[in-house]
Amino acid sequence: MREVIAAPLAGLDLRQHYGHHQSPAVRAGGLIFCSGMLPVDPLTGERRHGTLTSEAHVVLGNLKLLLESAGSSLDRLVQVHALIYDSIEYDVLNRVYRQYMANGPPARTVWTAQIEAGFKIQLDVVAAA
Amino acid sequence: MSGKREAFPLPVRAPDTSNGSSQPMSMAVRGGDFLFVSGLTAVDLQSGARMQGTTASETRQILTNLKQLLDAAGSSLDKVVKVNVLLHSMLEEPNMNEVYARFFPDQPPARTVCGARLPDGVKVIIECTALA
Repeated sequence: MREVIAAPLAGLDLRQHYGHHQSPAVRAGGLIFCSGMLPVDPLTGERRHGTLTSEAHVVLGNLKLLLESAGSSLDRLVQVHALIYDSIEYDVLNRVYRQYMANGPPARTVWTAQIEAGFKIQLDVVAAA
Repeated sequence: MSGKREAFPLPVRAPDTSNGSSQPMSMAVRGGDFLFVSGLTAVDLQSGARMQGTTASETRQILTNLKQLLDAAGSSLDKVVKVNVLLHSMLEEPNMNEVYARFFPDQPPARTVCGARLPDGVKVIIECTALA
């Protein structure tokens, strides 16, 4: 079974705000697949550009909201792809990331990529449903 | 069955590379409830020839091939849960998005799009996970 998970708050519906043709997340086979999470205001959808640290806090906060609305949580993450704009920020990412993944962090891969709208970070994750 | 991994037999010919060797990968592999599809580039499924074009035309070709591949594997575009799109430039995102939307008219899968350095002048790579 495949079930689309709606945005828990209007700002997290990137399809509505930016025309991205995607669902916020999809539940299937005991897993939740989230669309690439970006630093947007969860209430308004407004872009929250900043430092990698500030953007990471927004992204992880949004991810927490989305997963919890779907009955999952950050503790249930199984795999994370962290896309960052420059690998020089790797340690900066880790400092923030650590605060959200206290108990048994998920599998993770970090790489450098071009992220939309000049954002510094995007998280692409799979969680246990 | 969980715990079993099955490389799906190619319903199509794999794309040729310039030196004539085929790629060391399966087009799709079934594992657990899922079918994992390799990153696809724009090729002609009959001849395996590359179909280099615009971001829009490459996206259209890839998704047309993906549909065929999924159908042949007993899945379908409706069963896709997650898509990763790699673009040669994020400036092309709207060009990809517009074509992409026609292939997933309602309840689209989760998706991540990013810009990356792609091999051989390829403009788009699309990989996905679908329910088997």
